[in-house]
Formats: sequence, structure tokens, C-alpha cells
Amino acid sequence: MNIHNHGGARKGAGRKKNSGNFKEQTKVIRVPISLVDSITPSIEVYKSQVKSGIEVLRVNEDPVKQLIPIFTSRVQAGFPSPADDHLEDTLDLNTHLIHHKEATFFVKAQGESMIGAGIHQGDILIVDKSLSPKSGKIVIAVVDGEFTVKRLHKYKGNITLKAENSEFEDIKIKGTDELIIWGVVTSVIHQYD
Amino acid sequence: MINKTKFALVDCNNFYASCERVFEPKLEGRPIIVLSNNDGCIIARSNEAKALGVKMGVPYFKVRDMIIKNGIVVKSSNYPLYGDMSSRVMKIIGQYSPIQEVYSIDESFIDLVGLPFHLINHMQSLRQNVKSWTGVPVCVGMGSTKVLAKLANRIAKKYTRFNGVFDIDELPYERYCKLLQSVEVGDLWGIGRQSAKKLNRIGIISSNDFYQADIGVIETLLGVNGKKVYQELYGNSCIPIEAIPPTRQQIVSSRSFGSDLNDFHELNQALTNLTRKAVYKLNNHKLATTTITVFIYTNPHKKNKACVHLSKTIGMTTAIKDESQIIPLISKILRLIYKPGHSFYKGGIVLSNLVKNYPQQDLFLTNEDNQRNIDSSNKSNAIRLVNKRFNESLKYASEIGNDKWRPRADFKSKRYTTSWTELLVI
Repeated sequence: MNIHNHGGARKGAGRKKNSGNFKEQTKVIRVPISLVDSITPSIEVYKSQVKSGIEVLRVNEDPVKQLIPIFTSRVQAGFPSPADDHLEDTLDLNTHLIHHKEATFFVKAQGESMIGAGIHQGDILIVDKSLSPKSGKIVIAVVDGEFTVKRLHKYKGNITLKAENSEFEDIKIKGTDELIIWGVVTSVIHQYD
Repeated sequence: MINKTKFALVDCNNFYASCERVFEPKLEGRPIIVLSNNDGCIIARSNEAKALGVKMGVPYFKVRDMIIKNGIVVKSSNYPLYGDMSSRVMKIIGQYSPIQEVYSIDESFIDLVGLPFHLINHMQSLRQNVKSWTGVPVCVGMGSTKVLAKLANRIAKKYTRFNGVFDIDELPYERYCKLLQSVEVGDLWGIGRQSAKKLNRIGIISSNDFYQADIGVIETLLGVNGKKVYQELYGNSCIPIEAIPPTRQQIVSSRSFGSDLNDFHELNQALTNLTRKAVYKLNNHKLATTTITVFIYTNPHKKNKACVHLSKTIGMTTAIKDESQIIPLISKILRLIYKPGHSFYKGGIVLSNLVKNYPQQDLFLTNEDNQRNIDSSNKSNAIRLVNKRFNESLKYASEIGNDKWRPRADFKSKRYTTSWTELLVI
């Protein structure tokens, strides 16, 4: 048997893998002539996207989740809008009302005991559990295992949970009561019917 | 001592029970158990329930009398709540290290190497922050490897004197061996039940036996993975942190039904619902599927009746990701495998051969087909949004029926954090 040590494949020779137009393996396919014109453009578009390094995004990814810009102006033919240079960020209520996303919970108010603080039956309260409960804040408290929303008053070691409605009594915390401040109410959302 | 590597495992204490307590503070200090889907088995216990001797994984009906007698609070699993609380906890943990691996719904590894903090204090602050921001208590175990961090976490949980944070690297050699002596080898992270059996057979019972054994023996017996655990016990980090979760290989959505199903339409109804859940995950991960499996089977525990297991897998030339395409396919496959006269107790679907969801459409589709695909994807988006806003109010016709399949969840708490209609009322 003859052993040749020349000819055959050489290591490292030839075109490098994935170095072509598509940066991935390609495949030869048979295409009906009538479809060539409609297929070629999409391949060309893809080729140019790969070449320019543009990430290929799906059109209409999430059509509904469009934020509304504050400034809008009618397009006047020929003239750029003078406001375009002043286009600012959009307004997002979440960033306005929520400062600690992981610590923020929504709860629903029941009853009228805090009507003086603008909390009505059925309102949604935004509660931040990360804030320290300072005197004067409206808090979600747990007294002996039951939830209540009241204004916290601390004075000389005495703690009172004050209602904001003269028909309701304040809760004075006695030594034997178990009190946990669950969170601090930062906003109330009141929706008109 | 300066470690080349340093990890922490942050683990929530009795996570499911703790989540329930956040929204029902009066459960504090009371024994709680949480049941699996369909209220089948016990899958979580509070410390108080553990102390009463309630075992993990036991079918609920077998211990119901004991549960009632002891006044144990029973909850159906509330995954929307646990999932949301988990993501809050994980995000807070992520603020304490640049490298985080979310290991499970209630555990996360973080890399602590090179952080310019006193680590015990840093972890105490993490612990307090998670507790005050979310209400969920966590414990932290630290070590120079992931196996050690996991072990340290046990100690942090078990002994209150460490205040929830324990660094196993600080332990002197003798104390370390003593600790390993007290932990069964099967309780080590990475030693499964089968491996533990093999080890027990050659007289390796405790983790210390394992630690003192010869590395060659361990490698022969358990292979490279066992060797990794062994080396990690010696402080050589072999299991790196996986900051980027591996791409999903498949999505499984299956369930035992609330009651046995005989009828094709009842099964179709259940599978449509399961499919919607799977497709939701598929879309969240921006993936598409090319292979679909449907399976249904009868109860294997029924006496005098052979278990019937029916399934079929089909492959597709184009990857699909849209529920309006997948749901009809599921029905077709079910039609192919369904046999009347059996009582099916469990069923499900598997989406596999998942691919990244590229915008590329099938080249052989006409423009009209492509337009239809875009339309249907818009339609699915719209349906998803409506359901998010209005509490699952839009359904596919095949999902509507007698709801016989719906799992039991007799003790379910509200979805306090994910549904506008189920907020905590105060």
C-alpha cells in the first residue's frame, strides 16, 4: 500500500466557518422561478442587516405598549417641526408614584375611617414597605394580627393609630398589644364612577 | 483569610408559608401547610407544622384528621403570589452582588468575591432589607464553593445564634469535620438519592465519611459530578455560578385533573388551558417550537385496572409560537390518540426543539400568508393583553365546557399582587 503524505485536506485552509455573508451555515435550496423575485429581496435585506451588525428585530413587537410622547406636532411638508429638538421623555405614572418597586404593594381600602385623609371606600392605596414609619405618616398597621389603615402618632413613647373621621375611635397601643407597621401609604388612587 | 472564590446562598425560610403570612399576619406563629396542585400532597410546611411531625410529600387525605386535630392552617398553592414575591426577593438579592444566579423560586446564589464590604455585615443588611421590603425572612450561607455555601445555609437556618447568616469558611478543621459528621451524605447539594444509595452501600453514610474517602473511589463510583462535590467540600470551586440561565430545552405543561375525564371535549378543554400556559412561557422566553407532544394517561394507582398511557409527538418544518396555531394542532393530536372508555386522570403537552424566535417567516409562504401570520400574532397579543387586564376573560372556544378538569384548590389565598380584583382589602 502506498502512503502519500501530500495532497488531501490541509488544516486551516479554505474559508473560515461562519465567515460568509450570513455569519452562519448556508444551504442550497431549489426555488420555483416564479418565487425568486419575492424571495431574493428578503434575503438581501437580511444580508445587509447581518453585515451592518444591526440586530434583526421583529416588526410590531408589542404594538400596544407604546408610550405617548409629551410633545407632538403636525408634520408640515418641507419644514421640520420646531418642537422636534425638544422632544422629551414620556410620562410614566409608575416612576412618579413608585420609588421602590420591589417593596411596593397595592391594597384596597375598606370603610370610612380615613375619609379625612382622602381615603374613600374602594380606593387603591399604594403602600411602600421599605419606608420607615415616621410619626404623622399614614400606615398599614397590624394590630393583634388584624390589618388597619390609620395615621401613626408617636409621642414620648406612646403610640396611637389615629382615625381621620370623628365617628371612629383612635387606637391607643397598650403594652400588651402586638403592633407591626406593615407599610407606609404613599398615595391614594381614587377613581370617579 | 482571603478566598479565591466566595459564594453565598440566600434561601427563603419556608417560602410558601412565609408568603401566605405576609398577607395574613395572624398566621404568624401558627402551623401552616401548603398543598400541591389539585390539593394533592403536602409541599411546604412552616416550622410549627414541621415540629408537629407533618411530613413532606404526604398525600393530604391521609393526614387530614391529624391536621384538623392540631389546628394546622391548610393552603392550596398560590403560584401567582409566590412567583411575584419570588421575583421581588430575587431583585433585592441582586442588588448585593454583581453576579447572581437565581437557582429556584426561593434560592439564589451570589458571587461575593472581591466585594469591598465586611461580608457578614453585608449579608445581614441583605437579610434585613429583604425582610422589611417584602416581609419574607431569608437566611444566608457563605462558603468558598457553592456546595459549602449550601451547607452553611443549613447551619444559618438551624441555629438562631448566628442570626441568619453563617460563614462556613470560618470554622476550624475539627468543628468542620464534626459538622460534616452530622449531615447525611444524601443531604449534600449535588448528591442525589441514587448516589447516596451507592455510597451507603460502601459504608459512606455521613458527609464526613464522604469527605474522608479516597477521591479515586468517589470518582469511580459517582463519576465526574460526584468528584466535583467532593472537591467543593475541600474548598476548590468546581461548580461555577450560572448567571445566565441556560436556554430552555423544552416546556412542559401537565396536570392531574380535578376529577377523571372520559370525554374527548373535556380533555380538549383541559389541554387547551394547559397549552395556553405553555405558550405564554414560550412567548416570555421569546422562543418558538418545532415539536409538540400530547399525552394523557389513566390513574396508575387504581387497582384491577391497567394504566393506559397514550401519547404522540409531531414535528413541524416551521417553528411556531402563536397560540392560534398551536392550540388547533394540540386538538388534532389529541383526536389521534384519544380512545373512549377510559378514565384519564392526568394529561399534558410538551413543546420541544425550541428555537429563538426570529422574525424570519417561512420563505415559501406568500405575502398573504405572511400577512395572516402577522395578523394572528397581533390577535394573540391582543388576547393576552385583554386577559391580563380583565382577569382571563377571553378564552378559546375549545376551553369552554364543564370545567370538570379544573384542579381542586379549596384553600387558595388571593392573588394579592397580580390581580386588580384580588387586592388585599384593609
